[in-house]
Amino acid sequence: MSIFNDLSIALQRKIGRQRLRKWILGSIPFIFLIILWEMNSYFVWLEPVYIPTSGSVWEAIFTLQEGCEGVAAAVALDNSCLMTTHIFSSIGRVILAAVVGLPLGIAFGVIAGMNRTLSKFLEPIGIFFNSISGIAWIPLAIVWFGIGWQTTLFIMLNTIFWLLFFNTMLGVRGVAKVFEQSVLTMGGSRWDVITQVYIPGAMPSIITGCRMAMGFGWRALIAAEMIGGDSGLGFMIFTSAAEFKIEEVFLGVIIISIIFMATDRYLLVPMERWTIQRWGLVWKPT
Amino acid sequence: MAVTNTDRSISEAAGRRSTLAQLWRQIIRIDAMNLVILVAVVLVIWTVISATIANPARYLPSPLVVGLSSVDMIYKGLLPSYFGDTMLRLVVGSFIGIVVGVPFGLAVGLNRTVADMFYPILNFFQSVSGIALFPILVIWWGNSDTTVLAVILYTAFFPIAFNVLSGVREVPIRFIQAARTLGASRWQIIKDVLVPGAMPHIATGIRLSIGFGWRAVIAGEMLAGREGLGWMIFSAQDGDNTARVILGMVMIGLTWIVLDHYVLRPFESETIERWGLVQR
Repeated sequence: MSIFNDLSIALQRKIGRQRLRKWILGSIPFIFLIILWEMNSYFVWLEPVYIPTSGSVWEAIFTLQEGCEGVAAAVALDNSCLMTTHIFSSIGRVILAAVVGLPLGIAFGVIAGMNRTLSKFLEPIGIFFNSISGIAWIPLAIVWFGIGWQTTLFIMLNTIFWLLFFNTMLGVRGVAKVFEQSVLTMGGSRWDVITQVYIPGAMPSIITGCRMAMGFGWRALIAAEMIGGDSGLGFMIFTSAAEFKIEEVFLGVIIISIIFMATDRYLLVPMERWTIQRWGLVWKPT
Repeated sequence: MAVTNTDRSISEAAGRRSTLAQLWRQIIRIDAMNLVILVAVVLVIWTVISATIANPARYLPSPLVVGLSSVDMIYKGLLPSYFGDTMLRLVVGSFIGIVVGVPFGLAVGLNRTVADMFYPILNFFQSVSGIALFPILVIWWGNSDTTVLAVILYTAFFPIAFNVLSGVREVPIRFIQAARTLGASRWQIIKDVLVPGAMPHIATGIRLSIGFGWRAVIAGEMLAGREGLGWMIFSAQDGDNTARVILGMVMIGLTWIVLDHYVLRPFESETIERWGLVQR
């Protein structure tokens, strides 16, 4: 018992009593769910056609990766490494859309937000395009680009761009005029005003926009891959469902949730917190 | 004389100009006017683009064609029927989600240990999108209304339950202590302190739930092929009827704007104004 005591004390020192308590309590429902799942595979209350056994989900990884020749082939998106290829193609699209969409949205948002009349004028456009959720664009995107990676990329880009455009515009518009005027009085150029006043002032709003954009964009991407894609995790689970391979569907859903949770918790939330601490003029709850 | 005359005329002209400018500024400030100009500009740009590209009927039909297609669809009664189907799904799904989610969040939030236990799992399911679960539900129930309703229920339930839970937890402890000092029973604390205190979060949760639910309805109808606005744009794309696709998109956007800006946001801000705890 003393080992457990020592371990418990060491853990409490390292993590902190409250956090440790929250972790342990928070993991109980997950463990309960897993136990329920295991019991279902053992007692077969529901047929494996509806709820696969955990073992078959684990085996689905190897079925999908069958014939994959090591890491090099997986990175090269070899057709035999189905799971990793789908994961990489989804993540690659997210990264590509973020790299293109974030700067574009921020740039247009700053330009529109600098002029009060223009931004008032353009506000309804932002509201309208944000209201047509990314998903509603899928049929039109299929007409324009056909089924394939262009459609999915377009859906993601579209979602990211409008959210960031709108948030940046509102953020820039909310920056007090005094800051801009003082920089101009002290001989700053227009460019100085943009880099020193507008962007830092709009930063909390921009980062909130980023977080929303990634959340909505990722959801829209999964839907787009299901309907109009030919690769990616959404495509993988949709085709597996059509073939009634429920273990592959479960695997895909688990991977999707893990990726989303990980990016949100370890990338976006810390970024948001850091920005609000560093740049926040007014703290706004998201 | 002459000097004063010119002076007067100058000042009069200046005055007139300033009133004109004021008037113009007032007009600019009127949102409705803005909106009319904006819509006109967008329509003109849209028409020009659709006139210049090859095969506009397939890629971008002009606003006129889209308008005609809407007249056609209303005349045939398709548009109202699809619209009604979608709204019915949304209302039923989010109503059940809210009616189940609010009491659940409250019940779980009352006890600190239980709340800490359920917080991560609700957060987890809140962020797993219902659309990703769609293939599983299709295997369970096929391409049926049950599937679409289950997706909406799932997407509506978790945001509201999560928000109510965190709302109850964020009621300051000293309010509860104050009520308890004054001899309030457990039920009175729930009724008079916790529920009113969580009210703003409940309102935000309801708005979030319906927002996510709306997206889920559209996606669910597309994927499961149940009649509604989502299915309308999807089948129109299959039938090469791009005018109908754009009509559906405009309908989806407008419906959500009306719902969000004229129903949900006023409801939320009213609730926050009425019940919001301002902490100093």
